[in-house]
Amino acid sequence: MAGRSGREISAVQKGSIRSKILSWEGALVLILVAVNILGVAISPNYNVENVLREMPRYLAEIFMMFGMGYILVLGDIDISVGALVCLAGTVAVLSSNAGLPFGVAVIICLGVGLLGGMLNGFIATRFTELPTMIVTLGTQIIFRGIAEVLFETWGNGGGTASMTDTKGLMLLATKIGPFPIAFFCVLIVGIIMIVVLAKTTFGRKLYAIGSNKTAAYYAGVKVEKIRFICYSVLGLLAGLCALFLLTATFGSNTTTGQGFEMEVIAMCVFGGIATTGGKGNLIGGFIAAFIIVCLRIALGQRNINTQVILVIIGLMLIISVLVPAISSAISIRKKRAKA
Amino acid sequence: MKKKLLSVILATAVAASLLAGCGSSAADTAAPAADAAAPAADAAAPADSSGGGKTYALVTKSAGNPFMERMASGFQEVVEAQGGTVVIQNPEAATPDAQISVIQSLISQGVDSIAVDGNDANALTAVLTEASGKGIKILTLDSDVAPDTRTVYCNQAGVSQIGETLMEAVYDLTGGEGDWAILSATSQATNQNAWIDAMKKLMESDSKYAKLNLVEVAYGDDEPQKSTDQTQALLQNYPDLKVICAPTTVGIAAAAKVLQDQKSSVKLTGLGLPSEMAEYIGEDDAHSCPYMYLWNPIDLGRLAGYTSIALVDGSITGAAGDSFKAGDLGDYTIEEIDGSTQIILGPPFKFDPSNIDEWKTVY
Repeated sequence: MAGRSGREISAVQKGSIRSKILSWEGALVLILVAVNILGVAISPNYNVENVLREMPRYLAEIFMMFGMGYILVLGDIDISVGALVCLAGTVAVLSSNAGLPFGVAVIICLGVGLLGGMLNGFIATRFTELPTMIVTLGTQIIFRGIAEVLFETWGNGGGTASMTDTKGLMLLATKIGPFPIAFFCVLIVGIIMIVVLAKTTFGRKLYAIGSNKTAAYYAGVKVEKIRFICYSVLGLLAGLCALFLLTATFGSNTTTGQGFEMEVIAMCVFGGIATTGGKGNLIGGFIAAFIIVCLRIALGQRNINTQVILVIIGLMLIISVLVPAISSAISIRKKRAKA
Repeated sequence: MKKKLLSVILATAVAASLLAGCGSSAADTAAPAADAAAPAADAAAPADSSGGGKTYALVTKSAGNPFMERMASGFQEVVEAQGGTVVIQNPEAATPDAQISVIQSLISQGVDSIAVDGNDANALTAVLTEASGKGIKILTLDSDVAPDTRTVYCNQAGVSQIGETLMEAVYDLTGGEGDWAILSATSQATNQNAWIDAMKKLMESDSKYAKLNLVEVAYGDDEPQKSTDQTQALLQNYPDLKVICAPTTVGIAAAAKVLQDQKSSVKLTGLGLPSEMAEYIGEDDAHSCPYMYLWNPIDLGRLAGYTSIALVDGSITGAAGDSFKAGDLGDYTIEEIDGSTQIILGPPFKFDPSNIDEWKTVY
């Protein structure tokens, strides 16, 4: 069942515990453990308290990883979400500063995210001949552009705005023991997204569309409706990301969320979700996200040059994509040798 | 099954090599740090051990910026001479988000002071408040943050001083009338915006500048390519343009190259690094920039180094009126300017054809 990339299609049920441990997810768990051992080994300050304290900014990104996973399983891509985070955060900050209560600002933040996602979904499903990379490149520029215009017209100018009433954000930034609230929110959202993708017919349809869109269509799957829903969900999660990012920055500026789209795509791909669609699952992406976050924190505490950290993460990504390709190439060669 | 086994083995190998790779790179970075600390400690022992045993961090705006590198070298020189340990952190991107990660990491490491060159005035509020809560002394240099989140701001020159100097240069180069434009850094850069505001206020309040027409403030985002594009756009959109003023080192270098390559009659001034601008500075038409200004980033870094040490050893608290001796830079007093506590390094320095050759080798 494995294609060229060598990863198993998740829709295929696997029974034995042995095969579960030997799966890509099993390997990711090993890497996560290794990264944490590395952290403790190289930094005396790498402990639960410090890691959880440094984590919130990264946790915000993980929300979008789940939505991006859906989009990638569909065989689509969305590179507009970083800019959408900026737009949602900006509108929330400006509306709060205009005197609206925090609860309303939260709804506006999530609402702007949802609307942005729906716009992506609308264009992508109405004009199916357009590559989604180009559609979302366009909306990426539009979203950030609108945010910049908002700063000029409603903000104090200068491309940055900070929330004057921070009580609500402080509440969201509170911790239960050492755990920030964002951590529990990521867990809850993660479990819902993972279960829906792996255990429901809706999730199965995503794999069907990602594997063969035309076949899925003729099998009665409402392809465009499902794609629209996935883009909207990702947009909503971008709003959620913006909200939790605000708890770390108390404000928004023109560079907010810059590069987030690529970071969440990297988390997904490292987690074994193929950008060609139909392969991988969110558990992999979830573990991969924590590998990247823990590695960044550990290397950061050792004061390793941030550019070097980026190189290491880039290398990990390339290797993780190569591993299954190499192993499948070897197995194909072996089969040929037998025949 | 074999295939899966293989992929697990490979993945583990990746993790192992990662471990090895990071272990060695960590050792590499640790080794020179230890080497550097040893002689510094020797030197400090007889003279002054006020900085000994403490860790002083500096967070720059971004990596690969020559101004930041010179500033960091000045900071490092002062702190190490006093026997302190230096941590220089260049965030992965010139954004406040990237600085937040770096500062969070420094809090984990339990440093004694953090000197920040802010990428945004407000976005660092939460993280810096958290750092102060852990007893870490926070100061800013070059670009300030919200005043109540730090003790003191090491200002390279007063905002109004820079505004007046640049406005006078524009007046001189245009001959007192005509179109001129500004090529700035990012639209949210704190110090550039303050200087531009100061210039705009001068134009409104002083009738001397009444015939000058500021056509546009363009933003090159401190990226050479974007600054080049923006300069070309300015030249195309405003044929009567006489002067471009670029109060950013990246922007002025990009604009100087465009103007000189195109043999444009438009003149350039602003704030630039002598080493990068030497080939463009000259009075004749073959050069695009008759003169420009800057302060000394090495001295700014050194001032921040002395200030960090004074804050950590408790000889100053950051209140207005506190004074201390910053080595051979002289005595400084913390001043209250526009409701915030600042230490001003000195007036901007003019670079023209007569002195550029001696300065271009310095920084």
